[in-house]
Amino acid sequence: MTVAGRASEAAGNRRAVPQTALLVGGLVLLAALAVLSMGVGARHVAPGEVVRALFDYRGTDDHVVVRDVRAPRALLAVAVGAALAVAGALIQTLARNPLAEPGILGVTAGAGFAVTLGSAAGLAGGRAGELGFAVAGSVAAALLVVAVGRGSPLRLVLTGVAVTAVLNGVALGLRLMLPDTFDLYRFWSVGTLAGREQASLSWPLTAIAVSLAGALLLSRALNALTLGENVAHTLGADVGRVRLTTLVLITVLSGAATAVAGPILFVGLIVPHLVRKPAAGSVPWLIAYTMVLGPVLLLAADMAARVLLPTGEVPVAIVTAFLGGPMLIWAVRRYGAGSL
Amino acid sequence: MSIRRSSGPVGALALALVLTGCGSSSDGGSDSASEKSGTRVFTADNGRITIPANPKRVVATGYAVPALIEADAPLVGISSWKRGEPMMNKEDLATYKKLKKVAGEQAAETNYEAIAEAEPDLIVIGVPAPVLGDIDMKRLKSIAPVVAIGPSLPSAWRDLSRKQADAAGAVKQFDAQKKTYDTKAAELAAKYKNVLPKLGLGHVGAYGDAAKGTFQREFNGSWGTNIAEDLGATYYGKVKKPGPGSRAVSEYPSIEELPAAFREADALTYSVNADGSVPPSVKYVLDSELWKNLPAVKAGKVFPYRYTEAATYGEALMTLDAIDESLAPLLKR
Repeated sequence: MTVAGRASEAAGNRRAVPQTALLVGGLVLLAALAVLSMGVGARHVAPGEVVRALFDYRGTDDHVVVRDVRAPRALLAVAVGAALAVAGALIQTLARNPLAEPGILGVTAGAGFAVTLGSAAGLAGGRAGELGFAVAGSVAAALLVVAVGRGSPLRLVLTGVAVTAVLNGVALGLRLMLPDTFDLYRFWSVGTLAGREQASLSWPLTAIAVSLAGALLLSRALNALTLGENVAHTLGADVGRVRLTTLVLITVLSGAATAVAGPILFVGLIVPHLVRKPAAGSVPWLIAYTMVLGPVLLLAADMAARVLLPTGEVPVAIVTAFLGGPMLIWAVRRYGAGSL
Repeated sequence: MSIRRSSGPVGALALALVLTGCGSSSDGGSDSASEKSGTRVFTADNGRITIPANPKRVVATGYAVPALIEADAPLVGISSWKRGEPMMNKEDLATYKKLKKVAGEQAAETNYEAIAEAEPDLIVIGVPAPVLGDIDMKRLKSIAPVVAIGPSLPSAWRDLSRKQADAAGAVKQFDAQKKTYDTKAAELAAKYKNVLPKLGLGHVGAYGDAAKGTFQREFNGSWGTNIAEDLGATYYGKVKKPGPGSRAVSEYPSIEELPAAFREADALTYSVNADGSVPPSVKYVLDSELWKNLPAVKAGKVFPYRYTEAATYGEALMTLDAIDESLAPLLKR
């Protein structure tokens, strides 16, 4: 174990018990929300029936709705919420910028640009096509940003902003010239968890799961980085490797989440701020909390999305944006931006 | 010009507003004629317009394109109408391809200079009233009299296409097509009289949105159902919250509401593309376990309909044949 790791462990032990209790409480809340979310929607299903559908499947319409429509949707909400929230925590930690969010690496803009390009070429019509182009665009944009801006956190952020602006501008031009492309993009551009239950999501979800595990493993090394590069070097951390690995994880997490659900803003920005106080400067706890609170937030927003309007669903990205702004202001006023 | 059930933004807006926006007179349009001057006053969506009694050079856009090609109107320019190509017979398709294109698929793609070069004595615009905002009517009127006759309710194509033909002075051929259709529809209604009227039917339209987890349910009078009704079919139920235009006869519920929508159906029909392929929005429904759980599906009483976008009698003849071909197994049961 490095010096940084030992320092982190010593600090963490002082708060381990209440922090663990908080984490367990969060997990219980997450499980309860997941069950609740499988009962809410156009067709009401009682919680008891939800449990029976999961563990004593009889093939009734209620059971089919729960098993085939809502359970995959809840799983997607958990995965996307965790991916975006953890990606947000990682980028804020790495960039030491409280306003950083996963999109700063150009991931969202890259996905949108690629979907636009694919649609213009007539190749991104179906869900699989959209997914493929979104993943490719996310990765390509992130690689470009990292390649150009890897020198320092500030340079990285500025490069991300510049690449995002260029990609958004070119994509907008294409969409304005091609009405059909605009049409496809306007549906994709508002992130939603609806209608994904038949899509093949095993690869994106596996990538998210592996990356979340990677983020947990990397979190101790990131603790050293929060003290500054020189201190981190002194404490024995391999700064270059940690930074590169973190960037890869951010790219995979936010790229996969954006590919499967479309752009969902605010989750990656706000969740790290909400848990920064209880995490008390510990990156491992920050990652662990965001991994739980991200899904909680997205599940709650998705339930709200289903019941807010009597005429039908609202895309979840609109709910997160609507709730995210006030919540961020509340968190910053109550806790401050916290130490990054 | 994009108008009906277009997935484009202009088309979507138009559909949302079409019923309230279309103020087409129901009196048949032709109000008065003046033999001496060779003109008459015609009531259209854009008001009472003085037009030639016997137009010689007509420009048509939107839904007026297939209607006036079928009616053998004296066309000198048309808008692009790709969506209608699969429903045109060989002769009409050749005419369509040969005619000069003076506008694109979208109303905003109107080429005013090309229209002026065609030197029309009448311009027939077949787009919903709200889409007229995308067109510089003042400029068009400076070229020739303009009558706007756009779609309203899906099943209103019968009256609207006649009105378009009437404006263009081509009712004779139109009436011949209508007679052929009516005869064919009556034959098929007799063929299915012991089967179809007894069934409670449900229809899945092609304009649901899988990305939103919704499907399109069409009731009586909608695009996918109105021609089958001429054979005696009845699509039970009604829209929960009626809206303008096609939303008065179709709705877009969550896929979770499939059982509530179709559990009582004796048989189910669904829209497919002209080549028989299943559109993604319909495939989303057909692949759902909720669909497979429906009694009508388990009983094998599921039938695809081609050419559900028909908006002229010529196109509707193809729809009749397609429905007959699809429902034929019902007669053997």
